[in-house]
Amino acid sequence: MAQMWITMGPQHPMTHGLWTLRVKVDGETVVDTDPELGFIHRGVEKICEARNYTQITPYCDRLCYASAMTWAQSYVYAAENLLDAEVPERAEYIRLIAVEMQRVASHLMWLGAYCPDVGNLTVFVYCIRDREMFLDLLQELGGSRMHYNYPRIGGVKRDLPMGFAARARAKIELFLQRMKEYEMFLDESTIFLVRTQGVGYCTAEDMVNAGVTGPNLRAGGVNYDVRWAHPYSVYDQVDWTASVEKPTSVKGADCYDRYRVRMTEMIESCRMILDALDKIPGGAETHYEKEDPMIYKKAPIRAPEGTTGFHHFEDSRGESMFYLVGGGGKKGRGEYPYRISIRSPMFITIPFVAKTMIGYKVADIPAIMGSFDPCIGETDR
Amino acid sequence: MILMGDWLDINGWVKSGWSALFDALFTFLDSTFDTTLMDWHGGFSNAAYLFSMCAITFTLIMLTLPIVVLWTERKFIARLMDHRGATTTLRSLWVGERGVTAGEWWNMVPFGLGKPIGYVVKKLNKIAGNRSSIPAVDRANDRSWHGVPFLFPGFFQNLADGAKFLTKEHMVPAKADKWIFELAPFLIISSTVVILGFLPFGENIYAANPELSVLFAFAVFGVAPLGVFFAGWSSNNKYTLLGGIRSAAQLTAYEIPLLITVLAVCVLSGSLNLIEVINFQHQSGSWNIFLLPLGGMLFLITMVAEVERIPFDMPEAEAELVEGWWTEYGGLRWGLLFAAEYLRCYAACILMAHFFLGGFYAPFASTIGSIPYLGTAWLAIPGLIWVVLKAWFIFALFVWARAALPRIRTDQILEFGWRYLLPLSMVNLVMAFALRLYVYDGAEWSIFVPLIITVIGITLFVILSIDEDPEAKRPSHTVTMQPAGKHVPGED
Repeated sequence: MAQMWITMGPQHPMTHGLWTLRVKVDGETVVDTDPELGFIHRGVEKICEARNYTQITPYCDRLCYASAMTWAQSYVYAAENLLDAEVPERAEYIRLIAVEMQRVASHLMWLGAYCPDVGNLTVFVYCIRDREMFLDLLQELGGSRMHYNYPRIGGVKRDLPMGFAARARAKIELFLQRMKEYEMFLDESTIFLVRTQGVGYCTAEDMVNAGVTGPNLRAGGVNYDVRWAHPYSVYDQVDWTASVEKPTSVKGADCYDRYRVRMTEMIESCRMILDALDKIPGGAETHYEKEDPMIYKKAPIRAPEGTTGFHHFEDSRGESMFYLVGGGGKKGRGEYPYRISIRSPMFITIPFVAKTMIGYKVADIPAIMGSFDPCIGETDR
Repeated sequence: MILMGDWLDINGWVKSGWSALFDALFTFLDSTFDTTLMDWHGGFSNAAYLFSMCAITFTLIMLTLPIVVLWTERKFIARLMDHRGATTTLRSLWVGERGVTAGEWWNMVPFGLGKPIGYVVKKLNKIAGNRSSIPAVDRANDRSWHGVPFLFPGFFQNLADGAKFLTKEHMVPAKADKWIFELAPFLIISSTVVILGFLPFGENIYAANPELSVLFAFAVFGVAPLGVFFAGWSSNNKYTLLGGIRSAAQLTAYEIPLLITVLAVCVLSGSLNLIEVINFQHQSGSWNIFLLPLGGMLFLITMVAEVERIPFDMPEAEAELVEGWWTEYGGLRWGLLFAAEYLRCYAACILMAHFFLGGFYAPFASTIGSIPYLGTAWLAIPGLIWVVLKAWFIFALFVWARAALPRIRTDQILEFGWRYLLPLSMVNLVMAFALRLYVYDGAEWSIFVPLIITVIGITLFVILSIDEDPEAKRPSHTVTMQPAGKHVPGED
């Protein structure tokens, strides 16, 4: 059969967002690929140059629609670095709980989106059902279900509500039982295994060279988890282990490895939340008022010219980085950042994945692409 | 065993009715106008009889099909995918969403006779219901429950969907091969309707009964993939092209095992006529599924591939090919293609019931049928009911597979078809030959033959489906690293 280009996207079930993958096929085999990004570029970095540091947080919420809490906190840590703010330890624990809940919700969204990619809708419904539990908990914290605007520079907006810890423990216990259900459904299914094992190989060297991070890199056997390698919040105080998959093939990690890493990471996140609820200073069942020194410490609102702030953060999809330069705003008073730069893990990963697919079948395109968990909101920024 | 006649003798009634009608008419005309119309009596009444039977069979199918589509394809799968899984599924078919919808129909039963049912249902819901304590998402409009509340909940939603298709614009893509594009749906739909003419719904309910009806049914079954290929090629779309070619490639992989499996059934039954295959199962005292369990499995798998459902629906794989070969069809043609797909599916279920589950005869006709009063009532249930029930049961298996399995890849089904299904179907054929030549004595199976074969089959199935070592399946496992707190950055 002659070779031809197929345009998948911007509206295509495979894309998980708004982007285009042009695929050159020879019959059913992928010969070449050409990704096009930038369909929903909103210019967040530029917008932020005309906002003060508190106003930027909701914009960073909107970077990723599946994992808003991690992006807002990623920014907040960089801003605290810039402004030399101190954070009470209780607030750090609350942030950790919120971020890990968001990570579980994001990975559930990933699993729910991945199984229709390989042809099963049931797991999607199951995942959305369980994601509701975590969204309900996050709603208790932030008051919203999608874009929370929860972290503040120097703390968090509100303390844990009364009874939150008990509800969280009950829901996580239920969820850990249901994780066995998922594993029964997918790991025991021969069709799922033949669809995911042996496709989408990429070696650790290639991923490191391309800059792929997060669960995708850990699936290749590289133990690089920012929370573990450079512990930033209170990650060195809670009980957890980084989940790293050791690939069996010399060709590197396949889709099944990436699936396994995310499954174990959800369990680890749950362990972390349970442990943090036990260890939180002041106790999980006490509720402090807004702006109490236990959860919030006032931070400076201006950064002079020449100061920079940086933080790298383990997002649900990889290593997100924020680089802030202070000293912007009217007459150089420094209430706005002069420049803000966002490093998105998926912006680096998607072109890499596009080249990874070459040599596989057309039916493997969604299976490979989905296994990397693309999110176009953060990619296009 | 005595072959009990089915009292629902629709063929006989229609035939004698038309015969009497034409008899009276032609006698009157001949005596009045001095014509010789009576010579044509046989031709007229036969033609009228055939047309009527076609219409009656088609009506029967169209009346029973929407219930399948609605209750099984929509509600059953929704329940399988919902909170509690398969165990509460059947209950919710009549209870409804969150236990209280379907309009609490028990309150509408006159004189409060339905109150106990409502009490039981509410108790059940309290114990095992799936009512959410905080309903985050509420369904404003339970649209699958439109209709007469407790007769056919949701039945009329199908009519509403059909009316929607009727009002849509018919579009042909630019530079499409217009003639072929228009021809393909008709090829698919007409060939599907023709199959239904050869499916008996009872001992005496069928449109046509030729000597080689099995061969004919499968010949017609094989026409539709050709239409799929036409549709894929003519749409001038790369997705449809890939879908059409996948369909053609898949066809060769499953159609040959399918036909060899059917051949095994025909060898065992000694006939290529569908009704005689069914009669053989009744007379010899055992369904074919107990004699050829392997054949039953093969037939089910290949039929799922034939009607292009998950896990074998690569021609319309929505994840990569949008909607496969029917991407470009819209409006009424899409609706008709969709209906044709369910008709094919239903026809496949009925064929499975006929070949392996005893067709239109009651289960345990000889044992239950010999009980004094119950047996008479059991045998008085018309064959139509049994066909429909068996077909629904098999359709539920199809839907279950759809809920439980992902889709496999094109090269994998080709490999599966050629490497596993084809040799297994040959083994099945040899088993059928051996049973027919060396075991069958010409009258009835000894009770031990189906029993032993079934026990061996179930044992083999269980042994083969148990993983010998779950840990060995995947050598790789998640490596546990040292706890985070004890780690010194830069050390490794």
